Amino acid sequence: MKPVVDRLSQEYAGRVEFKLYDVDKSEEGQRLMRRYGAQYVPTFVFVGSDGAEAGRAVGEVSEAEMRRLLDSLE
Amino acid sequence: MRSKTLVIWGAAALVLAVGVVLLMRPAAGTGVEEASPDRIAALVAEGVRVIDVRTPGEYETSHIPGAENVPVDVVRTEALGWDRAEPIVIYCTTGARSAEVVRFLAAEGFERVHHFTAGLVAWGGELERGSEVAAMPPGETPTDMPVMYEFYTDW
Repeated sequence: MKPVVDRLSQEYAGRVEFKLYDVDKSEEGQRLMRRYGAQYVPTFVFVGSDGAEAGRAVGEVSEAEMRRLLDSLE
Repeated sequence: MRSKTLVIWGAAALVLAVGVVLLMRPAAGTGVEEASPDRIAALVAEGVRVIDVRTPGEYETSHIPGAENVPVDVVRTEALGWDRAEPIVIYCTTGARSAEVVRFLAAEGFERVHHFTAGLVAWGGELERGSEVAAMPPGETPTDMPVMYEFYTDW
């Protein structure tokens, strides 16, 4: 997933903020993961500018699906 | 004989009245009230602080108007910074998860905890949907830009 996420983070720079957390190492990531009720890794949570969750994806996600979810935020 | 009977009945009535009063007040030493839906509605109308301990997704779907979302897995940490004398309503969907939280709060010395024992399923009042509170993690501030969080591990 990393190459896809890296590519998309560059493409959506300035429009969507990408926050990536290694939950084995990041307490903040663990806290956010609990906060969003995420139970598996990887989990992607998409949050709109109003602060409301707009969607999520769990596990291997296609680039097309990632784009669809990212576009839904705009 | 008649006055003796009256005294006995009077004493019995007094004992009964004291018993009723004791039964209706919160359990001594815990500060917890097991509250009915009507009682919760009255507390909400008074503006008492209301805490929804369900997940953000459940909260997003619907919640008691004005309720704050502090999920059960983080409330034990966040509650340590709360005023223990402030009245507070705790609820979840059926009262199961909130019961655990209420026990924790009682043990921590919270003095006025009102537990919505039956939970949101028994709520007959107005419901509110969605809020920034549901999705905005504590310590984070809203920005104009949407966010994508990825939670991963290296393995």
